[in-house]
Amino acid sequence: MGKVIELNADKCSACGACAVACMDQNDLDVTEGASAFRIVRDLEGADGGYEYYSIACFHCEDAPCISACPCNCLKKDEEIGFTVYDNENCIGCHSCAMACPYGAPCYGKDGKMIKCGGCAVRVKNGLEPACVANCPTGALRCVDRTECEEL
Amino acid sequence: MQKTAVAGFGCAGYHAVRSMREHGYQGEIDVYTDTQWAPANPMLTTYYICGKLRREATLPFGAIEELSQKYNFHIITTSVQKVLSEEKAVLLQDGKTQYYDQILISTGARAFVPPIPGHESERVFSMRTIEDADRVRKILEGREIKRAVVAGASMVGIKLVELLHARGIHCTLVDMAPYIFPLAAVPCVAAEIERRLTGMGVELAFSKALKAIEEDGQRVVFADGESISCDMVLMCIGTRANTEIADENIKVNRGIVVDKRMRTNMQDIYCAGDCSEGCNLQTGDNQIIGIWDNAARQGETAGANMAGVVKEYEGNMLHNITHFMGMDFIGFGDVKSEGEEFLYENKEKGEAFVIRVKDNKPVCMNFLDSYGASGVLKAYMINKFGGAGRQMDSVSKVRLLNEGIPEKLINFLESNSQEEDVWEK
Repeated sequence: MGKVIELNADKCSACGACAVACMDQNDLDVTEGASAFRIVRDLEGADGGYEYYSIACFHCEDAPCISACPCNCLKKDEEIGFTVYDNENCIGCHSCAMACPYGAPCYGKDGKMIKCGGCAVRVKNGLEPACVANCPTGALRCVDRTECEEL
Repeated sequence: MQKTAVAGFGCAGYHAVRSMREHGYQGEIDVYTDTQWAPANPMLTTYYICGKLRREATLPFGAIEELSQKYNFHIITTSVQKVLSEEKAVLLQDGKTQYYDQILISTGARAFVPPIPGHESERVFSMRTIEDADRVRKILEGREIKRAVVAGASMVGIKLVELLHARGIHCTLVDMAPYIFPLAAVPCVAAEIERRLTGMGVELAFSKALKAIEEDGQRVVFADGESISCDMVLMCIGTRANTEIADENIKVNRGIVVDKRMRTNMQDIYCAGDCSEGCNLQTGDNQIIGIWDNAARQGETAGANMAGVVKEYEGNMLHNITHFMGMDFIGFGDVKSEGEEFLYENKEKGEAFVIRVKDNKPVCMNFLDSYGASGVLKAYMINKFGGAGRQMDSVSKVRLLNEGIPEKLINFLESNSQEEDVWEK
């Protein structure tokens, strides 16, 4: 059993606080072309109304990126179940991006894969992931998978 | 105590053993391997040659000795000559027979080198195993190589061109097919890749059949009488499944035929990985889909079932990904299928995206330098082939929009109704 970061889209206003917190926490330098692991966007519905989303890695229980990686860079964190990685041997082949149904893997300036690791170190030390801690409306929550409602 | 044999220890064999133990299998496991360098990933050899990966990193799960401790199995280096399916036994090279309760065939595939005259020269190479990589590494370090011929415009072939080109070696890429990546690329994407390769100084010789290799690997002769002189020849024509150990009772086409639980037609004989023919979701037929990820999934499925847990693997579609010389190519689905083709280019980002549609369904997609949307679209296609008919969810849409995929294309994928003005040809 593991944790997931859950979004309640009804509470999200796509304000971007989560993305800024993500950049800060993960030292993602936007001036160097990096983007946050979390993407924030509004979506126009068929009825003309707007919905708001903040999405990153879903930390799938049976994560397809793990078996797709030719170098075995990805794994499940045994303690909290996030999909974490060590990209030392990453060859930048983008196989993980092709395997991920949500397009979560990103690539750094060196071409190696980087992605949302759920702020595993923070969570292990009793803190919230940076995006969750900085969400002003409570739309993002870090919960056990069993508590997670369908998005 | 129950006894299981695993013949071959690549990606599928490893995942099967791991999965058996994780599903609580308590019996003995004998792993037969003809190489101690296992479980290796054949796709990493060129990265090892160019020094991007350490030799050990070509074993993504670690060395076999460590794994045998972790998952408690015996390593047996005597080759398996035959799997005797009725007796549930393996006949070994030394003439001995060992009996089991169940057997997994996970022997993988080998590089195919056509037996043309001269193919045995020491200047002729193939690329699959670490030994192949060592041979190429040795000649590149030891001798002055100025010109190379790479036969086979495949995913392996292009990685060798990249490797050699980076060392200043003049490369000619040869194939019998009329264009590059004939099993994955649509013609307009192939043409763009070829234009870029030619611009970088790579010579291309397509629609050419190999006839012989002469002058001890220093001249490649084609069926049309033309020839090229070179210092080395690399054969990347393709692979062949290692199915020879299956006895005559086991059903074999190009690969060993398996069901969704990775069972062969013979009781308690399983098969997974590049030697097996699982389900191609697009056609519904059995076909070898020789991809690392597919081998992992099949191995995992075989392992669960061998541990007594019913688990099914639906199958996969043909797909390929390769990045080389500053390019990034992805192909989904059957490139030979007919349909109407549409091209979308994001010139600002330098991305190209081609989709072929038949009966309002995508049958083939190509992406050039636009991997960002590939995961969402692969899942979409697999769902369509699987008959799930699931609508595109909001998260997928957000991702596609973020990757610059035009809204009208997303609307098409979502609605599945082809409108006249949806496409930019």
